[in-house]
Parts: sequence; structure tokens; C-alpha cells
Amino acid sequence: GRLLVFPMDGSHWLSMLGVIQQLQQKGHEVVVIAPEASIHIKEGSFYTLRKFPVPFQKENVTATLVELGRTAFNQDSFLLRVVKIYMKVKRDSSMLLAGCSHLLHNAEFMASLEESHFDALLTDPFLPCGSIVAQYLTVPTVYFLNKLPCSLDSEATQCPVPLSYVPKSLSFNSDRMNFLQRVKNVLLAVSENFMCRVVYSPYGSLATEILQKEVTVQDLLSPASIWLMRSDFVKDYPRPIMPNMVFIGGINCLQKKPLSQEFEAYVNASGEHGIVVFSLGSMVSEIPEKKAMEIAEALGRIPQTVLWRYTGTRPSNLAKNTILVKWLPQNDLLGHPKTRAFITHSGSHGIYEGICNGVPMVMMPLFGDQMDNAKRMETRGAGVTLNVLEMTADDLENALKTVINNKSYKENIMRLSSLHKDRPIEPLDLAVFWVEYVMRHKGAPHLRPAAHDLTWYQYHSLDVIGFLLAIVLTVVFIVFKCCAYGCRKCFGGKGRVKKSHKSKTH
Amino acid sequence: DKLLVVPQDGSHWLSMKEIVEHLSERGHDIMVLVPEVNLLLGESKYYRRKIFSVTYSLEELQTRFRTFGNNHFLPGASLMGPLREYRNNMIVVDMFFSNCQSLLKDSATLSFLRENKFDALFTDPAMPCGVILAEYLNLPSVYLFRGFPCSLEHMLGQSPSPVSYVPRFYTKFSDHMTFPQRLANFIVNILENYLYYCLYSKYEIIASDLLKRDVSLPSLHQNSLWLLRYDFVFEYPRPVMPNMIFLGGINCKKKGKLTQEFEAYVNASGEHGIVVFSLGSMVSEIPEKKAMEIAEALGRIPQTVLWRYTGTRPSNLAKNTILVKWLPQNDLLGHPKTRAFITHSGSHGIYEGICNGVPMVMMPLFGDQMDNAKRMETRGAGVTLNVLEMTADDLENALKTVINNKSYKENIMRLSSLHKDRPIEPLDLAVFWVEYVMRHKGAPHLRPAAHDLTWYQYHSLDVIGFLLAIVLTVVFIVFKCCAYGCRKCFGGKGRVKKSHKSKTH
Repeated sequence: GRLLVFPMDGSHWLSMLGVIQQLQQKGHEVVVIAPEASIHIKEGSFYTLRKFPVPFQKENVTATLVELGRTAFNQDSFLLRVVKIYMKVKRDSSMLLAGCSHLLHNAEFMASLEESHFDALLTDPFLPCGSIVAQYLTVPTVYFLNKLPCSLDSEATQCPVPLSYVPKSLSFNSDRMNFLQRVKNVLLAVSENFMCRVVYSPYGSLATEILQKEVTVQDLLSPASIWLMRSDFVKDYPRPIMPNMVFIGGINCLQKKPLSQEFEAYVNASGEHGIVVFSLGSMVSEIPEKKAMEIAEALGRIPQTVLWRYTGTRPSNLAKNTILVKWLPQNDLLGHPKTRAFITHSGSHGIYEGICNGVPMVMMPLFGDQMDNAKRMETRGAGVTLNVLEMTADDLENALKTVINNKSYKENIMRLSSLHKDRPIEPLDLAVFWVEYVMRHKGAPHLRPAAHDLTWYQYHSLDVIGFLLAIVLTVVFIVFKCCAYGCRKCFGGKGRVKKSHKSKTH
Repeated sequence: DKLLVVPQDGSHWLSMKEIVEHLSERGHDIMVLVPEVNLLLGESKYYRRKIFSVTYSLEELQTRFRTFGNNHFLPGASLMGPLREYRNNMIVVDMFFSNCQSLLKDSATLSFLRENKFDALFTDPAMPCGVILAEYLNLPSVYLFRGFPCSLEHMLGQSPSPVSYVPRFYTKFSDHMTFPQRLANFIVNILENYLYYCLYSKYEIIASDLLKRDVSLPSLHQNSLWLLRYDFVFEYPRPVMPNMIFLGGINCKKKGKLTQEFEAYVNASGEHGIVVFSLGSMVSEIPEKKAMEIAEALGRIPQTVLWRYTGTRPSNLAKNTILVKWLPQNDLLGHPKTRAFITHSGSHGIYEGICNGVPMVMMPLFGDQMDNAKRMETRGAGVTLNVLEMTADDLENALKTVINNKSYKENIMRLSSLHKDRPIEPLDLAVFWVEYVMRHKGAPHLRPAAHDLTWYQYHSLDVIGFLLAIVLTVVFIVFKCCAYGCRKCFGGKGRVKKSHKSKTH
């Protein structure tokens, strides 16, 4: 078949690559479309890349990413931070929206897509541009995602989310909440719609214009046939799910390669203490000097060799046991038996690589879902979370020593690892299967819940409850009236006396 | 590893048996707990049996089952239907309860089970004897369940079931309901709790006796894995939980060759092919008048009909109809010459129809069968008949429709292709998850935290009440302040008003 892929740039793209490669090997023709100003999306041997022009440059994208990495270390007050993040999100999203609009108005490009008659579209709905393309081309869609902000994914799949035990993102709650935490969860649920409107509602307007019918963001997202979710219930808390959700957590840590000579040498030289792998992900290129020195100091106090992926200026107090590298083969290093701990920003890729390889983690969440990921690992006793802004060298040192020397961390992560890896079918195969399924059957309409055809008050049976209430009240009223009438008849005299007394007072 | 199996006698056992045999082939040591009087729980090379005594005889068992099956042909007022259905079910359900009672009081058997260190317990929770036993023996458990009655997997597994689009059993509604249907569904949902109480509250008593503490039955179901004998080609899509594994069609995997006898029937049927007709093992005898009506209708179609029927041969049976005491249902349905399937729409039969892509004429009798039939009907894969009210013409028309109207064949073939297109075979999946529970001593990471909440906490009613109280307090204070402010500003008027007010009192 013919598959169109519209990926998100960045780490999201990297885990999609494996799926595309498999699909190509199974004989499908894969076309990837991406903006000209892409950073990670490059030509590949197993797909055709078609770039479309956008009104911004690669440098603009790089700049926004660098800025994002920097905001994480910003020491501003909470309120100022919120305002700054809000402004930044607004700025960045309008840039990306302009790119999407540019694509959809590119008549020539869109026509060429239409002529290709694709069987399905594989896209990351984080920005719902692919969803508009899907509706424009009327092809069935498979979503490949980690999670959508503001519960957009639950809304679009009609998946119930009981706020009493499903923690909202950014709430720092686990699935066991006390009363105040549950209050916070409900308040977050109420307010998140406002937070997301600024990013997502413009896509509704754009789609309305392109498709020439009234379209909301929900209408854009909900027709997706299959949702490939990059999570599972070893990392996430169990909660209601829908039949068209397929869980492929850990899809990114399958392929393991032998270490290069350079890294092999580092690991071998580490002796009995082994190594610690440290990476804050590709978003963070530079850490403020003071913070970097604190970190370097803490790293110097442990007996392990630390491999630190860091592209910024070398801290002056870097100890001998710490090796700065511009890049490291993270998954391969974590898979090495000498690896004792993993210092991570707890992005979902890193977390799953830690789980797959069974390495206890020290987590420094920076933004997005990272706080929530860290919380999940922490409640399962597989890691320690640090606040990167507030932590001192001592904190980091203690955290590292705890996860390395306290055996329970290793035991817990090994237990998670064995649960995670014990599955009837590999996540990569599952993802490939469902993409092919949608191509074969032109979607999966039998998995679409009837809830989509109900209004919100019908969904919650409010009309039924109202109707029953009305009946009950009517019956009660009538019974009451009858009784009253009966009483008056029986105790005639008294009733009349009472009545006359009543009328007097008025 | 050692697995203890607590089965449910009757057709439920058939799919469990297949899983058990497969597990045994993979080297697990399996013991099946069997009441000494039973229908289908025979000896096997795949497992050992532990037999416990019961208080009824084989004759009584057979009589009860026969009465239960044949009662569905008794005419009666439709209004009393639910009550009759309930009473009728209790004929069999009471017997299962007495068998559970015998087991849980049988101290020799219990101590035997305790001494055998099992790794897990595999049971059908429709009758919760195995559930109680798992708690008593402190074993991780796996359930194999059709979802009937009461949608226990959702009721006890904490998956939300919006009454607005998830039809309840016995309603015969689809997932698209009109307002009156949603109203009825809402009420049935409430009654379902009552049914649950009627069916299971006595199990709570014997469980409390055995475990020597107050037991609430739902709390015993919390740590288990639910293997469910349906999928979303058959069932309407709805919210589910991560500890549910869907195994629809597990019973129709293997297709054997037909025996000479049946091969001959099929070959002799010519271009018109055959129709397979079975009302399941529960129905042994149909009232004569009804049987003759059926025989008449069957005589009017050009196909050869293979009718599994153990009752008296109807006098008007036509030449094209062959009565047999038993038939290889799945193998016959898999034959390309099979044109239609007349079924009571039990879940096994429905899935065999789907697997083999045979359009169905459905005569639901009891339990989940009406709802099964509804599901196939809304998907255009079959026609439902009311067995009590139908005439010979109705049956004839229904058969001719599903055979000659191509859309039925197309629809069932589409369902069949969707159903069979899956990343892993249901039998392998079942085996995997039973072994998973044995390996990991259960699957506690799939247990939702919802089990630890009260109902008002679950629905956040306390939080909503709290927030409402705050909002009302704030509104009240703001209002009071405003009022006070107003009085101060427009002092004169306020005082006038006040004095006026005090006068009236």
C-alpha cells in the first residue's frame, strides 16, 4: 500500500522511524512530508521525503528550541514564568501554525498529494496539521503519539477520565490522591481548556477555511482510526482506555548495538564502580554556569565514572571521573551491565530506555510531561526526583548515592523492566500491524464508539435524569395534593378552621 | 508451574478447556476442580481432576438442565418475561450455588488444595466459587468470562459504562439509542445492581464463613486479570480497562475435516448447499406444534438442512432436512457450501458464524442471546426471530433473505475479515496471560486505584461539594459586602427601606 507520513520534528520523529522502516521492508511505499525548515527529519533510504516550503527558517526553529531549553533554568518568580511560558507558547505555536497554513494553501503540493491516492496517513497529532491534511485527502488516519496536552486525546477518543484517580498532567499527583490533591486535580481539569485554546483553536479556524465546513479541534482529532500511544501501564497508572488505543510504550528501546570503541573504553576503565549516564536531552544545550558547577561538584563526589552529554561550556570544577561528550549512545550505554544509574530529564524516551534496561534513575524534569514521568517512576520506587532549580550539589550527590547503593531502587526497576518486557507481542510489530490494518480495511470504523454521536448532556444522561426527576416530582406533587385533599375531607372541620385562620393572616 | 482450574460446567467450559489443554501442552501441571456430578467435565490426558462431592444426583442435574432449556418454549405473558427468565435461570444457578457450598464446606478437599502449592487459579467468575477459593488459598487469579451476567468485568473492574451508549443486557438495544431506549437503559442499569444482589449476595455469606471475616464480594475481584470471550467486531466499542484481554473467537480456531457421514450430506446437497441448524445443547425437545412449524419452513427452501435435534421427529419433516443427534458445528460452518446458520445465538455459535463468515438466522432463547442477536442484526449479518411468535412463513422468509440477499453474506464476510485480522491469535493470547500471572504472581500494576475510593470520592462529589461551598460562600460574602456598600452609599434610602421593613414585622 501507499502510506503518507506527516511527522513532528524532534524526538517524536525518531521513534516513528523504526515503524516506517519496518513498513517499507514489508513492501509498502512510504512518503514523508516535512517542512523545509526541519532539524531532525532528513532524507532516508526507506522512504521518499517531500519537503514543503514554510515562512520560517531552520534557524528560527533551532532558536526556539534553544530558548525552550533555557526557560527550564529560568529563576524567575512563578507568575513571571507562567507569563513568559504563555508568551513563548503563543509565539512558537503561531510560527508553526503559519507553516501549516502555508502547506494547506500550497495548491500544487496538496494536489500532488491528492494524486498519490494514499491508503492511510500516519501522523503525530501533537499539532493537528496532519489531521487537517487527512480530512482534506479523505484518508484514514493512524495517530502516533505520546500524549496530547489538556486531555485532548481523551476528549477525541471519548475516553472517560475519572478525576478522582487519574492524575492530570502537571498536577504532580499520583493515582492515589488525598482530598486536597483531588481538589487540585479537578481545578486543573477545569482550567486546562483555557490553556490549550491559544494553541489549538486556531487549527479549528484554519481547518474550517480549508475544508469549507465548520470544524472544531475535536472534529479534527476524533476521526482517527487507531491511536498508537507510546506508553504502557508499567510506566502509567491504570485507567480507562478505549478499544482503538494501542499501547506501544518502549517501542524506542528495541534495537541495541554494540558500543563504539570510544565508549567501550570509557566503560572498561570505570572499574568495579561502573558508570553513570547523564543526559538532559537534546533540548538543553547550555546550563547556567553556577548550576553547571554545582552539578559538576556533585558528580565529582561519587566513585562512578560519569558520562555527561553536554554541549555547553566545560565547568571549571569538573572532576576527573566526569567525561563530557557531545553525544552518547544512550540506550546502548544503559544496556551495559556496568551502568549503575541514569541521570535524566525524564522525557518519555529516556524513561523507557531506563525501564527497558533496568537502570535506576535520578530525574531532573524540565518541562512538559517530564514532571509526570518522574512522578510515576518515583511512586514505583525506581528513581529519585530533583528540582533542577532548587537542588544543591549535596542533593544530587545524595540522590545518586541513594539510587546506586540502596538496593531497593535496583530491585524495583528490575521488576518494572521484567513486567514491561513480558508482552505477547513487541510494540514495534504491534504498531506496524495496526498501520497495515488501517490500510487494509480503510480505517477501523467498528472501533468508533457511539459516544461521538451524542451531545454532552445526552452522553451524561442528563436529559434522562431530568425527565425521571420531573416524573418523580410530578408524582410526589400529585400524591401530596391528593393526600392533602384526603386529609381535608377526613378531618373536615379542622381543615376548614385552619384554612379560615390562614386567610385571616393575609 | 502449577495451575488450579475452577471451571463452570456447561458450554462455558468448552473454551476454557481449549486454553487448559494448550497450557498443559506447554508443560504446566494442571488440576481441575470437578464436582462429582457434572455434564462435560470429563477425564482428560491433559489434566488431573480433583473431585468433590455434591448433594444432588446426575438425574437431578440433567432434569434441571432439561427443564431450564425447554422452558423457553412455554408461551406466557411478555410482561412477566423478566421474572420468568429469572426463575428459570435460578433452576440451574441454585444448583451451582449448592455445589459451591459443598466445596467450601469440604474441609478434606480444601486442605488438599492448600497443601498443593499452586501458582495461580484460573476460573470462570460467572459463579464466584473460584473467586472465593482464590482468596482463601491466597492465589493470584485469572478469569475467563463472557461478560454475562451484569457485565461483571465492568461493574467490578471499575470501567466506566456510560448508560447513554453502552446498552445493558436484556435490553436488546444497540449502541445508538433513542430517548426512550436510553431511559429504559438507565432504569435497567439500576435493576442490574439488584440482579447482582440477588445472584451473588448469598455467596458473600459463604465466603464470610470460609474466610472468617466480613467479605464484600467485589473486593475479591480487584487483583485479577479478565480474559474476555468477545471482541469489538461483535461487541460495541466502549471504555475498557488495561487488565482486560479480549479473546473473541477463541473457540473457532481449529477446523477439522468432516467425517464421512457429514461429508456425504454436504456433497449430496448440490448447488444449493446446506443450512446448519442447532439450538445448542440446552434444548433437547421443542413443543410438537413449534417443531412442525419449523420443519415445514425448512421443507420450503432448496438447501439441505442439517438439524441437530434430540427430540421426537416432527411428522411433517421434509426430504431436504436431516435430523442428527450431534453435528460438528464449526467444521460444517467452515465448509464453502454452507449458506446459512440457524442458531440460538449463544456466544460460541455467534463467533463460529463470524469466523466462518456464514449469515445467521437467530432464535435467541435466554441469557445474553437476545443481545448477541441484536449485535449481529445491527451489523446486517443476520435476521432475528422470536421463537415463540414466529410462523413457518417467518422462518422461510428469514432463511431466504439471508441466503439470497447478498448484503448479508457481504456483511458477515466483512466482519469475518475484521475479526480474523489480529496481531496474535486469541488462544495464544489467553495462554500468554495465564502464564504471565503465574510468572509475576498476578498483575497488581494493572489494578486501578479506583478500587480504593468510595463511590462519592470516585465521582469527585466531595470535591465538587467543597468547591461549590467555597463558591457559594464567596458569592454570599461578596453579595453581603455589596449590600452593605450600597446601604452606606445610598444611606438615606437604605434606612428608609429598613424602617419600612421592620414596621411590617
